[in-house]
Amino acid sequence: MQTIKLKLKEEVTRGVAKIPVEVDSLTPDKLAGKTEAEIKAVKVWWGNKEENTGDLFDVSVEGEAGSAEEVKIVLEGDLSRVKHIGDGMKAGEIEALGDVDMHCGAMMSGGKITVKGAADCWAGREMHGGELVIEGDAGDNLCAMYRGEMTGMTGGKVTVGGNTGECVAQNMAGGEIEIKGNAYILTGLNMKGGKITIEGDAVMPGADMTGGAITVKGNVRDMIPSFRLEGTESIEGEEYKKYTGDLAMTEKKAKGVLYVK
Amino acid sequence: MAEGELLIRNGVVYDPINGVKGEKKDICIRDGKVVESVTNPKVIDAEGRVVMPGGVDIHSHIAGGKVNAGRLFRPEDGRKGVKARTKVCRQESGYSVPNTFATGYRYARMGYTFVMEAAMPPLAARHTHEELVDIPILDNAALPLLDNNWMTMEYVKSGDTDLLAAYIAWMIKATKGYSVKVVNPGGTEAWAWAKNCDLNDEVPYFDVTPAEIVKNLAVANEKFEMPHSIHVHGNMLGHPGNYEVTTSTYDLVKGIKPYRDRPAMHATHTQFHSYGGTTWGNFESKAGAIADYINKNEHVSIDLGSIILGDTTTMTADGPMEYSLYQITGRKWTNHDVELETGTGITPFLYSGKSPVNTIQWAIGQELALLVKDPWKLALTTDHPNAGPFIGYPIIISMLMSKKRRDESAEDMHKVIFDRAEYCSIDREYDLNEIAIITRGMAAKTLGLHEHGKGHLGIGADGDVAIYDMSPEETDAGKIQKAFLNTKYTIKGGEVVVKDGEVVATPAGKTYFVTPECDEKLTDEMLVKLKDKFEHYYSVSFNNYPVQDAYVPNPYEIKAPWRS
Repeated sequence: MQTIKLKLKEEVTRGVAKIPVEVDSLTPDKLAGKTEAEIKAVKVWWGNKEENTGDLFDVSVEGEAGSAEEVKIVLEGDLSRVKHIGDGMKAGEIEALGDVDMHCGAMMSGGKITVKGAADCWAGREMHGGELVIEGDAGDNLCAMYRGEMTGMTGGKVTVGGNTGECVAQNMAGGEIEIKGNAYILTGLNMKGGKITIEGDAVMPGADMTGGAITVKGNVRDMIPSFRLEGTESIEGEEYKKYTGDLAMTEKKAKGVLYVK
Repeated sequence: MAEGELLIRNGVVYDPINGVKGEKKDICIRDGKVVESVTNPKVIDAEGRVVMPGGVDIHSHIAGGKVNAGRLFRPEDGRKGVKARTKVCRQESGYSVPNTFATGYRYARMGYTFVMEAAMPPLAARHTHEELVDIPILDNAALPLLDNNWMTMEYVKSGDTDLLAAYIAWMIKATKGYSVKVVNPGGTEAWAWAKNCDLNDEVPYFDVTPAEIVKNLAVANEKFEMPHSIHVHGNMLGHPGNYEVTTSTYDLVKGIKPYRDRPAMHATHTQFHSYGGTTWGNFESKAGAIADYINKNEHVSIDLGSIILGDTTTMTADGPMEYSLYQITGRKWTNHDVELETGTGITPFLYSGKSPVNTIQWAIGQELALLVKDPWKLALTTDHPNAGPFIGYPIIISMLMSKKRRDESAEDMHKVIFDRAEYCSIDREYDLNEIAIITRGMAAKTLGLHEHGKGHLGIGADGDVAIYDMSPEETDAGKIQKAFLNTKYTIKGGEVVVKDGEVVATPAGKTYFVTPECDEKLTDEMLVKLKDKFEHYYSVSFNNYPVQDAYVPNPYEIKAPWRS
């Protein structure tokens, strides 16, 4: 096992502008096998400038790793302007100790990311696999597709401890999302597959959905009118109304399922 | 144009317009033009490499309202092809709708130096020219859409071709255009009435047929010494069984005497117009029938519109066609009406080798090239980006040159290719001379640009040269494709713009436009009617309509006098 600690230097995000740092080059699979000196020399973007990791982060490495699976990266410091944490990661583990900026876990296909705070927009965007745990809230477009693309998340598992923003899981085609808090407007928009469980309340869930399933354990506000009640079903001992839709996408395509209490 | 002298030594030159078929010879350039000899030149050693004139693309959508709309509504396309700026180049992005910089660089890297923007809505001419100015390196021109135009249709109805000629002359001048573009004549206007038009249907309200529009525009165009014929995207594009509409459209200009030794009609992206069958279920290739017609007749030239497999963005003034396509795919779609003149539709499309229909379309594009005997009658295009992005040209070139590659590719396609297309039974292989014809010579001649220094390397021609990193004996399709994608050198106006596949200089291109010269009395009579249209129907005023000279900072004017 190897632990790579990366502590963002205070002066990096000091100042009015708080210039963001993009760290998609700092994933376990990209750092595996590198020495401390080599890690310090990996390039990361700071605003429009490419800098050495060692100039922006205090780096310390403990232990050895034979492969990316044995690498754990711990990010510390004020991460609220650190973007693309674990973007495209394939294996290993990342732990972010605090709130993180946009695109955390985007395009990830394996491994595990744990955020010990809130994640800004686009977390888990176009995720293919692996696990993403956000202990706090998540912003808009969680697990959605990039603007204009046809497919969002296709695999993996995402857990959000708090609430989520708008258009979560837009164009989702596979995988699983669990939201412990409330989900804001249009969760599962245009969803084609996969599974979403919302412990709290939801607003207009499942609009334009053609596949997959959404379960809302709390209240649904502004239920989409183009869903059809099919009867009731019991999930984990509780009675739910089962709807299919969205019929606005035509009868033939309306293969989505929405469970509401 | 670069000052000074350049000598390209010992290349194997293919210059079909001058009958040079793979001869080892030197090319001398002074002050941007090909000359007999040079005294103290910079020397480029092209020893044993294939040398051709700069490529000329006869039909591509690279600038204007719909290209820009395509970029705006496909942000996901902008994720592809991203290349950081260099000391010389600006940032590249996009695949099917690349940004203006990428458009210039990528064409230049393939050895092209002239591209025709194939559809300019007259009302959006300013936008089109602004975007052409933004495209580095390439010389360019644009074809104004004049067929679904109210004025045109009214003159066709009244049968007054002289006044129609006066009108198109004024419009080509006002838009700084090059020739008459026709796109689904009558059909795009009918689309404003939620209809479409077959060749002999009446256009709603105007009581004329598409056939009459095409014929009259061809007659009007030939009243001037126009370098190019009318440029036609016919009716029923992309509909099963449309090949008969296509040959009937060709028949319309039989007997019209062109101004010079070129056909009276250029029929574009013929692949989309060569379909048999009655439904998508029994859809089949009719490339053979179309090629047969082209082989037997001299009054029509074509370009391929060959398919490149993969995702692309379709965009055309053929609004109803785009709507049908959107109905098939269910993907996003946008539509636009250009008052009194034309319209636009855009929708993304994926050409898949697993789809029987796409497979046949893919076969047709190449079948046309292989079945038309005389390469001077056809040009290589993908109707960029409709059948695929222009960056796929090297794939088509390698296919045409290698039967082996075609056979291997056919194995990966849907099995319908073996029984509903002729593809696999054609043995012909293109040689480099024929490739030079369909990528430069034919386009330059058909556009009349060979008389203005484009598409050849004769004395006095523009110093536009492509040096490909391959030997003329090369038979490996992969190596051919690679060589045609990135030149060893591209030289534009005597200046090296690409070296070893990298853009090293980005001079501005020239814009070629035609000024048809019409009798003043005729023009005045026409203007009475036109000014009335502006007053009552246009949202812009007559005086603000023509494109000012400032929009064409590097002009190249071609005068087209009235033929007496």
